[in-house]
Formats: sequence, structure tokens, C-alpha cells
Amino acid sequence: MIEVHNIRKEFKTPVVKEGRFSGLRTLFTREYRTKEAVKGISFQVQPGEFVGYIGPNGAGKSTTIKMLTGILHPTSGHVTIRGMNPHKERRSVVNNLGVVFGQRSQLWWDLPVKDSYDILAKMYSVDVGDKERRLGQFAELLDLQAFWETPVRKLSLGQRMRADLAAAILHDPDVLFLDEPTIGLDVNAKRNIRHFLKLINEQFGKTILLTTHDMDDIEQLCNRVMVINNGELSYDGTVNSLRDTIGLPTVITVTFRGPFAIPEQFQRQGNPAVPIRVTSSLDNTVTIEVNRREMKTLDIFKELGRWGELDDIDMEDPDFEDVIHKVY
Amino acid sequence: MLYFTLASKAYARNLQYRGAHMVHNIASAMFGFMYACIWLGLGADYALGDYGTQGMVGYIAFTQAALWVSSFVTNGLGIPQAVRTGHISLDLMRPVHLFSHLMAKEWGQIAYQFVYKSIPIYLVYYFAFSLQLPGKAVTFLYVAIALAGAAYLSICINYLIGASALWTTESSWLYWGNHAMINLLAGFFIPIEWLPGWLQTIAWWSPYPYLLYVPTRIYLGFDDVSYLWGTLLWCVLLTLTCLLATGFLRRKVEVQGG
Amino acid sequence: MTTRSWLSLYALLIRTSIKSRMQYKFNFILASFLAALIQISEFLMVAIVLFKFGAIQGWSMHEIGYLFAVMTLSKTLYRTFADEVHHLEHYLVNGELDQLLTRPMPVLLALMPQKFRIMLGEVLQGGFLLWWSLHGMMAAGQVGWSAVPQSLYIIVTGAVILFSIGLATATFGFWTTRITELQNLTEDAARTAAQYPLTLYPKWMSSILLIVVPVGLVNYIPSLYILRGELGVWVLPALAGVALLCLCLSLKFWHFGLTKYQSTGS
Repeated sequence: MIEVHNIRKEFKTPVVKEGRFSGLRTLFTREYRTKEAVKGISFQVQPGEFVGYIGPNGAGKSTTIKMLTGILHPTSGHVTIRGMNPHKERRSVVNNLGVVFGQRSQLWWDLPVKDSYDILAKMYSVDVGDKERRLGQFAELLDLQAFWETPVRKLSLGQRMRADLAAAILHDPDVLFLDEPTIGLDVNAKRNIRHFLKLINEQFGKTILLTTHDMDDIEQLCNRVMVINNGELSYDGTVNSLRDTIGLPTVITVTFRGPFAIPEQFQRQGNPAVPIRVTSSLDNTVTIEVNRREMKTLDIFKELGRWGELDDIDMEDPDFEDVIHKVY
Repeated sequence: MLYFTLASKAYARNLQYRGAHMVHNIASAMFGFMYACIWLGLGADYALGDYGTQGMVGYIAFTQAALWVSSFVTNGLGIPQAVRTGHISLDLMRPVHLFSHLMAKEWGQIAYQFVYKSIPIYLVYYFAFSLQLPGKAVTFLYVAIALAGAAYLSICINYLIGASALWTTESSWLYWGNHAMINLLAGFFIPIEWLPGWLQTIAWWSPYPYLLYVPTRIYLGFDDVSYLWGTLLWCVLLTLTCLLATGFLRRKVEVQGG
Repeated sequence: MTTRSWLSLYALLIRTSIKSRMQYKFNFILASFLAALIQISEFLMVAIVLFKFGAIQGWSMHEIGYLFAVMTLSKTLYRTFADEVHHLEHYLVNGELDQLLTRPMPVLLALMPQKFRIMLGEVLQGGFLLWWSLHGMMAAGQVGWSAVPQSLYIIVTGAVILFSIGLATATFGFWTTRITELQNLTEDAARTAAQYPLTLYPKWMSSILLIVVPVGLVNYIPSLYILRGELGVWVLPALAGVALLCLCLSLKFWHFGLTKYQSTGS
């Protein structure tokens, strides 16, 4: 469906000289600083996949998406979408592409939401019957009726994003590129959007590539995740194996009733022979870190029971955010 | 001290865009050159009043250079943009008065334009048309006062244009409208005494002649120093208007949240 | 996308653009009023000189009025349909061009109808001035009725030339992002210069205005034939040829520029 072969993108920015009256100097000699935003990325996406594309700010996520959608021309390498080159055959490619940029809307700012759909339908040559049928469907799923007649500029961020999503799939594209579709939304709005995305992926078979900073998006939606860092792919696989690869420990907070003693072997820091690591001990509360792939939960409790009489145990599995933090 | 910092930051900020400004200088120099050519063409067939052909060329050269001090200030002092982005509420929260804050920034901008635009442009004309500098040193003093007054008036006018952005999204039209009025009523291309009577009357009831015509006349050595009282009067009037406008603006932002 | 469906889309976009302008009635009236004011003051700048002095270097009042009118109308035609080309900087700075690049149509055709500008003031003023100058010259027996269709013809070729200049200038924005300053030179300064007979300027400058930034081909050169019978009738077909050539060159340049587009920020 999507094939990316070793694409690179360099940006050139002129170096501004400092100092007084240096305007003339800058005018005649131009130096450029070359920044390599994407350094040779290759991947393939099969039809029906839901791929998360994550990475810290400035890692090259948006640049990649823009090269896939034909907005930017790669410095080298090539991209095909459904067998076509999005730069040479841009128009045929985008006819089958839905794009949402979370940061800006593709709807007409001053017009009621439904007017934007009229324009888009015409633009993508969607006939009136199809348009009405699809809009009816989306309106129900995304609850668009509430703001059907409202000018886009008066919509809340959540409403706008829903309206934008509907706009992106009005022409029934096979492939969707979503650049941070949940950015700035509240919990409720995020849940709505995720529900809808899951539905169109599972029921309508759309292939979706999503960039986000929200790890819940990835966990709940994607069956595959790619991590880009510094312009290079540093991970490409399932979400679960990503978690395993990193192997972050579970944090357990134990409160003892009465006196307790931490066996000496656990008190030494960084002893690789023991799976339990004590990170803090205050009054009768002890915090430890355990990698649960190395030690079963029941065994952990048994071990702790030997230290003293247990009062309360609180376990915290590794946060996906932290997993990602580790990858970055 | 704060105001000086604001002004020097504004000055320094411009240094980034020197390439673009160079192109702008060429455009500006071309404009003046073109207008000078028109007067040279006219001067070949007609006597050009008090000025004479060479005098009219000197007139155009000076107005074209002075334009960068007394006309091309930031659109609405940047208020329209602050309104669009919602920054305006932040700006109003600061412990300095919005008017003086923006004015300080604009003085930096004007200083930059004087150094990098007015002077180079005038130098080009000076050599291209073999112009003459004023004979008396005191003339420079009066011209400096007249130009400073013109810059101040321009800042006030643009502050008012900027304030209008809270009521209309089309305030950039006011900016261009203001430019058109400068072209016509400030004696930018045609000295005011050659305008039709009714237009002269309108001009002298407005602050526009003090932006270009008065500094230029003084520079060319006409005995028009008393016009500086007019500059002063308009400075006072427009300052009061700006302070009043800030009051309205503050209320509008407080009520509607920008 | 066929031409017909594009035209119907364009019509829809124009309708919606007008509709969205009309949502802010006060703004619309204010903008129209100020546009008229600007137009009138621009006209007065020329009119006052003509009124005070009459002819400039052998060009009569009517002839200079004609130059001004043709330039105004050509510019109006260009800006009515392609105002957004002139405002490309806005799309480059805000990254809104990204959106247009995801549309299934040529970027230029997606850009043009983003905003449709109603320039009634310019049409009225240019039309009046054209009528006044042609009427004056007909009364004096300088030109015949054939000047009317010829004038309309050169307004169209002129608009194509101005559009080409505007497009080529805007294309520089793909490298420099900022284009206002360059536009000031190639569009505003050049156009203003051509409102007067080019003989006023030194040779090097009039050559620039005929070859590099060919605004002189919009009104000056055709006027030599239409008003003064100089050159020859070949000027008219030649103008169409030159206009097409300019258009092709600037479109080529535009397409090249698009491949250099560096989208902003995130």
C-alpha cells in the first residue's frame, strides 16, 4: 500500500551573519547550513494496517508525512502509494488520500461546516448521492449535527477535529494520514476520535498512518508502531514487543506493619544477581523496582513477606510514556 | 531603561531580514527615481514654481528617503496581529502602558529604517542627481526636529489603526488607506500648494502635511520653521487620542476577552 | 478533473468566498470604502499633474489617462481572479500551502479561488477613465471606433502579462519565503512607472520595463499603435504571443519552485 525506500530530506537555511552593518556582506556571500531532517528511512505498510508513527519534536515525523503526501519532495529515495509516485502523479495519488493536520484545519474558516463538505465533494468529484450517504453516516458516528450550520471559526477544538476527520474521508480514500489528530483535546474528545478511527480501520478497512505524542493513542489504536528519532527509524514493530524490548521495571511500594529488615543482598545498589532493587526506604514504607519478566508476582510477595509483616502493597506497571521516553 | 531595551531589540530584530530589506531599498529608490524622472520630463516643458526642476528632484529625493521615517512604520504597530493571536490580552497585562511599550519598539524600528533605508536611499539620489546639502547647520537641527515629530505622529496614527483591529478584521485596509492619504495629502509626490484648493484645505486640516511636506520644505531651505508649532500641536492632539483609545481598547478586551 | 467540473468548482468557491465576506457586513463596507479611497487618491495623483501641466513630453492628457486606465483595468482583471497568487507569502508563512498540495488539482488552480476579490471601485474608475480618454481622442479625430475592441483586447493580454509577472515574483517565495519586498519592486514600482510614457525614463530603465519586467507591454507599446499609429498592426498578434510566452515561462518557473517548497515547522 505504502512503500518508502530510503528517503532523505535536507533543508538548507542561510546563515545570518552578525555584527554591525553586515547587511551588505550577507547579501554577497551566502553560507548555508544543511540540516538533514530525515536520514534514509525505509518501510512498507500493508493494506488495513493501523500504524503509529512517533518520535520527539523535531525528529522528522511531519517531514516524513509531508513527503508521503507529496507536499515535500525528498532529497533522495522514493515513495510509492498504491504503486504511484506522490510527486510525479500527485493528483491521482491525493485523490485516494485523506489527510488531517491536527494543527490546522482544512475547512473553510468563515463558512458553516456543511458548506465545506459541498466544496470538498466537488473538488474530489464525489457525486451528490455518495456525499449525502457518507455524510449521514459520519454525522451519526461523529455527532456532527450539533454544529452543522456553525461557521468553522466558532467550533471548539474537539468539534473542529471531528469535522476535519469527516472532511478527510468524504471522498472515501483508502489511505489516511493523520498528523497529531488528538493534539490539545480533552479526554472525552480524544475518546470520540479514537473510537471513530478504530471503526474506520476495522470496519471499512482503511489503512491509517498516525503521528501523535499521546501514547494512549498508540496503545489503543495501533497494531504497529514506528519510532523515529533524529531522522532515523529506531524501532519498527508491535506495541507489545516495544514494551518488552525496553523492559522497564514495575514499581512496588510496600508498607510494613511493625519492624522489618531488608536483607543485606538487596541493600547493595546495582547488584545484577538479584531481581529486586530497593530505591527508597522511609519509616516503614519501602519502594522497590522489579522487572516482572524476571520474577513472578507471587514470588515477589513471598520475598517481601520474609522482610517483615506486610500492611499494604501498591504496584505500578511501567507507564507507556516512560517506555517511549526510554526509546527516545 | 526598559524602553531603550525594547527599542534596541526592535532595531536588532530587523538585522535578520537585511536581504529582503536590500530589495526593498532598491524598490524604494526606483520609485523615487521614477517620480524624479516624471518631474524632469515636466521640467523640460514647464517652469516648476518655487522649486525649479533641480529643486523638484531634490524634493522627491528627500520625501522618498523621509518616507521610511514618517510613513513606513509597522502596520498598526503590530496590534492587529496581537489581536488575531490573542496576544493582546497579555500585552495589556504588562506593567507598562501599551502605548508607550509599542512606541518604544517602534522607535527602534524607525531608527533601523533611518540608518539602513533613508540614508542609503538618499545617498544614491545625492550622487545620481548631484543634489546639494543645506548650507546652514541649523537647518539640520530643524529637520531633525521635524522628522522626529513626523515619526511620532506616524506612530500615533498607526496606534489608532492598530486599535481599530479590535472592532474590524479589515484594519489592514486602514493602513493602506493611510498610505494613500500620505501619498496625496502629505505632499509626497506633488507639493501641497499645487493641489486644487479644496484638497489643500483638507490637507491643512489634517496632520498629513507635517509628515513629509514640512520636513522637506525646511530641508530645502524655505523659511517654514514656524510650521513646527503645527507639528507640536498635532503631537499633543494625537497623544491624547491614543490614550483615550487605549481606554476603549482595554474595556473591549476585558469584556470580550480579546 | 475535467475543465468543466473545475469551472463549476471555481464558481462554487467564488460564491462561498463572497458569502463568507458578507458575513462581516461592516468589514465589507469599510474595506470597499477604503479601497475606493485608495483608488481615487492614486488617480488624483496623476490627474492633478495632468490638470496642472496638461501634456507630458508630447503625450496629451487623454493619452496619459489612457495609459493609466489600461493599466488599472489589466491589474483589476489579474487581481480579481488571482489575488491569492499575490498573497502567496501568507500561505508560505502559515504553511497553508500544505493543505492546497493535498488537493487533487493543480496547486495554482486550488490557490486562485481561495479568495475572490470584488474590485468594483477599480472597474468603475478604470472604465470611466478609459471612456473619458477614448471619448476625448475620438472627438479630436485621433482614434476611431476600432480603438474600443483593441483596448479591450490589450487589457486582456495585459492582465496575462501582469499575472505572469506576479506568478514569477511569488515563486521566489519558495526560496526566500518573504516576497513583499520583491513584489514592491516588480509589481508596484514597475506598474506605477508604466502609468506614464516610458520615454520619460532613461534608456536602461525603459529597457528593463520592456524586457525584464515587461509592464511596458501592457499599455505603452500597444498605445503606440492604437493611439498614435506607430509600429504597425502586427503589434496586436505579437502581444498575444508575448503574453503566452510570459505565461509559459512563469508557469515553468512556478512548477520548478514548487519542487523546492520547504514546508514550515511541525
